Amino acid sequence: MIGRDAGTSTPAPKRVAAQEGLFDVACDPPVLLGTRCGACDAAFFPPLGVGCEICGAAEESLRSAPLRATGRLQAFATVFRHPGTDIETPFTVAEIELDDGPVVRALMLAPTDDDLAVNDGVAGAWISCGATEKGEEIIDLRFAVKENRS
Amino acid sequence: MTSRGLRSLRPVHVVGVGLHPYRSPSDAAYPALGVHAVRAALADAGLSWPDVQTAYTGTATTVMALSRLMYRHLGVTGIPMVQVENASASGSSAFRQACIDVASGLHDVAIAVGVDKPLHIRFPHPVAGVRDLTGDRVVPFTHFALLANRYLHESKSDVAQLGLVAVKNSRNGALNPFAQRRRALTLDEVLAPPAISGVLTRLQCCPVGEGAAAAIVASDAAIERLGLDQARSVRVLSSTARSETVYPGQDPDAALTRETAEQAFLEAGVVPADLDVVELHDAFTVEELLYLEAMGISPDGEAAHRLAEGEFDIGGRVAVSPSGGLLSMGHPVGPTGVGQICEITRQLRGEAGERQQPDATLGLAHMVGVGEVCVIHILEAP
Repeated sequence: MIGRDAGTSTPAPKRVAAQEGLFDVACDPPVLLGTRCGACDAAFFPPLGVGCEICGAAEESLRSAPLRATGRLQAFATVFRHPGTDIETPFTVAEIELDDGPVVRALMLAPTDDDLAVNDGVAGAWISCGATEKGEEIIDLRFAVKENRS
Repeated sequence: MTSRGLRSLRPVHVVGVGLHPYRSPSDAAYPALGVHAVRAALADAGLSWPDVQTAYTGTATTVMALSRLMYRHLGVTGIPMVQVENASASGSSAFRQACIDVASGLHDVAIAVGVDKPLHIRFPHPVAGVRDLTGDRVVPFTHFALLANRYLHESKSDVAQLGLVAVKNSRNGALNPFAQRRRALTLDEVLAPPAISGVLTRLQCCPVGEGAAAAIVASDAAIERLGLDQARSVRVLSSTARSETVYPGQDPDAALTRETAEQAFLEAGVVPADLDVVELHDAFTVEELLYLEAMGISPDGEAAHRLAEGEFDIGGRVAVSPSGGLLSMGHPVGPTGVGQICEITRQLRGEAGERQQPDATLGLAHMVGVGEVCVIHILEAP
């Protein structure tokens, strides 16, 4: 986890999201960039851009909606084998019901699920995962337990 | 809005089935696989290729436009032919199109063929512009590992009970000459490393290889005109397909199967307790338990317990995956749904040999596909 400012006189490097359009790295605590339908009020994440999955309202009815990156664990799994090469195993994937509605899938901060339980309260946290060629800090989102179910 | 159902049209019967064994990928070109299965189905029906009036090919991972380059080896007849792609449900969807074609009266004899080699396996979400916080790190085995985690939590089952699904299906697959995995496994073997994702070990995940399957369907008129054996003709009572909607608070995979099954039973005019044989999408162990409960074949939360008691064995109350299922027979994708129809047909004819479920008169075939879609067929003995 990282803070927004190292507290020195050196300006902090510009931060860019590891995945464009999913979260706002300028916000702390983290906020997800969801969508809310102006016609039926349904909230979505990942964001929808073409039409509403519930009522079919067109793009003009869809509004950007910030969603708090907090919720409860619905399910989790530690992945030991993965076909991609952009992440080391093991890593842990979780299904989280956000406090603001949608169920999302995200990566957990801890690589294994040893201390996780269904219904644990979790919150998103920024991690630094490298820099661009321009020296911008690449920021990604991981979730961690903030409230054990017991 | 729901369908009026296949029974509102004229009757459709499976009159011939054939398979090419499912196996690990080889150097063989796909036409050799498909033609092998078609010839077997023609021989089973007592038909020749010119009797077939239209062809639907279930395929998802090989190449575009593959039908004619395969069927030409049977002698060109100029019939309409089309590829049907619906992910894992491609073969089931091809079979459904063949049934609808005959039921509508457009043709009297149609063939559904599934054929695939695992050459191009890509998922649609990135191309559809769908991105998520995992960065596409949830591949199918992790998707079902998440479902397994939730299922074990809610049903208070344990990992060993999940493993028993693979033990049962490997026992059945060992008796199936077309199966990719042909060895009966112990529970220790199923639960042994390598771990893949969550509680799923390698042997709780299906093998994806190559193969082919074919099923010929015909009308009453064709059966009479061509002198086919009515005593070996299996009636297709229903053909039901649905796509995922939104199910607040529910597992969408199970919920989609639940509503598709409810519609299928209504269209067929039967209830879950009537079933003798079920082939379902057991690509991962947890799926068998989830779908048995979703289809009403087991009460919610009891499938693991009933499995352990032998209720889903061959010879039990209802034989589930007597072919070995996707876990042992294999999942070559395009062929899989048609292969289920082959197994159910043999069971309902009493021709399944060592895998025969005694006195089987009603069978159900279930597939789901990435996307998400669900296809269910219910078949009745002659």
